[in-house]
Amino acid sequence: MGSQFVDFNADGHVDYLSATFDGSPHISYGSKEGFSEPVRLKDANGKRILISSFWNYEDREHQTTDRSIGKAVQERCISALAFDWDADGDYDLLLGSYENGHLYRQMNEGSNAEPKFTGKCIPVMAGGQPFALAHKMTAPRLVDWDGDGDLDLIAGSFGDSYSQNGTGGGVYLARNQGEVGKPVFGALEPLIEPHSNGGTECSRPNAGLYADVVDYDGDGDLDLIVGAYSMWTPKGKKLNDAEKATVAKLRKELAKAQQKSSAFLRKISDEAKQATAGLDPKSKEWRTTYSAVYSKYNDERVKLLKPMQAIQKELGKLIPQPKREPFVWLYERLSQN
Amino acid sequence: MNLTKLIAPSLACAVFGSPVAAQALAQIKFAAPKRVHAGDKLLGAGRYYPSPVFHDVNGDGTLDIVVGDLLGKVTFAPGVAGKPGVFGKEEPLLDRDGKQLKFHNW
Repeated sequence: MGSQFVDFNADGHVDYLSATFDGSPHISYGSKEGFSEPVRLKDANGKRILISSFWNYEDREHQTTDRSIGKAVQERCISALAFDWDADGDYDLLLGSYENGHLYRQMNEGSNAEPKFTGKCIPVMAGGQPFALAHKMTAPRLVDWDGDGDLDLIAGSFGDSYSQNGTGGGVYLARNQGEVGKPVFGALEPLIEPHSNGGTECSRPNAGLYADVVDYDGDGDLDLIVGAYSMWTPKGKKLNDAEKATVAKLRKELAKAQQKSSAFLRKISDEAKQATAGLDPKSKEWRTTYSAVYSKYNDERVKLLKPMQAIQKELGKLIPQPKREPFVWLYERLSQN
Repeated sequence: MNLTKLIAPSLACAVFGSPVAAQALAQIKFAAPKRVHAGDKLLGAGRYYPSPVFHDVNGDGTLDIVVGDLLGKVTFAPGVAGKPGVFGKEEPLLDRDGKQLKFHNW
């Protein structure tokens, strides 16, 4: 989820605007007592704001609507920013999609106190093309990066979030070359280039780069703060004969435990299929029946998992395992040469 | 400019006395990345896709780092007055009922 602190309803208290993977922007209104429980933002017709796809809690699946305009097919809104696009004194919305990393604007034809969002998502352009981060966008931010008095866009991308051999995400800048009320964004420029995942050290953020911009060290220039996953595999040590034998033994035990676990999971899966045969997979009855079968075997599943985890832990002491861990990183801007 | 005097990160440049000059991309350079600490722990560790944003959430005049995540949970690491880049132990951001702020997710 991206985050923006902004007095969205102009009541003098800062609100917290965000969007999550459910496909809609949410807001937690601030008051002198603190933040309220987040609620979904709605458009002028009372419908939840979307790009096109959303998570249906009842059906427990992502579904696509035809409410959005243009080519926003199966795109989930996972980031939102308040931005007075047309400088008419109220906040419009910038909505970022996960799929294709597109950015849209939705205009407010009301006011901050009584917003009337149109329900129509208009593609934001960057360099004359629809704003797009092919490797999926995390969240955009607005900041006057180049100090020319208008707000530029900074956005991160996910990249390959799992493979140690894949290419990670980056952070990009689109400079606002327009004027107040008529923003025109230039082509995306990489601030942090995507990098290969993996390596033997935890030396950088790799995937799912969420960036914010601030003068972190008080030296007068803007730095980047980036939350992301790092992926690496620590260098292993040279094993002696005894250790090699231990590794062989543990691997054998692990394979045996994995076989046993797989067979058990197949058994549960078969039983769940039989129990739900003839039921509508979208029905509540199907979900309840399916869950009941799995719940029945919870304790046994845990019992089977524990020895595998213990073996993997022992193996990890001798053969380093790939790591994928989240951190927040500082990219300190260097003085200009 | 001091970090502690910033009032809103998204408008950081608006409070710059002398705005950062426009520069060609080729000149923008960063030091090798370093992990940020909150107290004696690494910020973001154990979270699902941590997303940081600077904001003075506790109203003490110093910017804090607020961290949201994939699950919709929100925490913050309080900034330490007079010490740019130093943050205290991470804690949950509470709503007005005293519960941890959580945005809905699927």
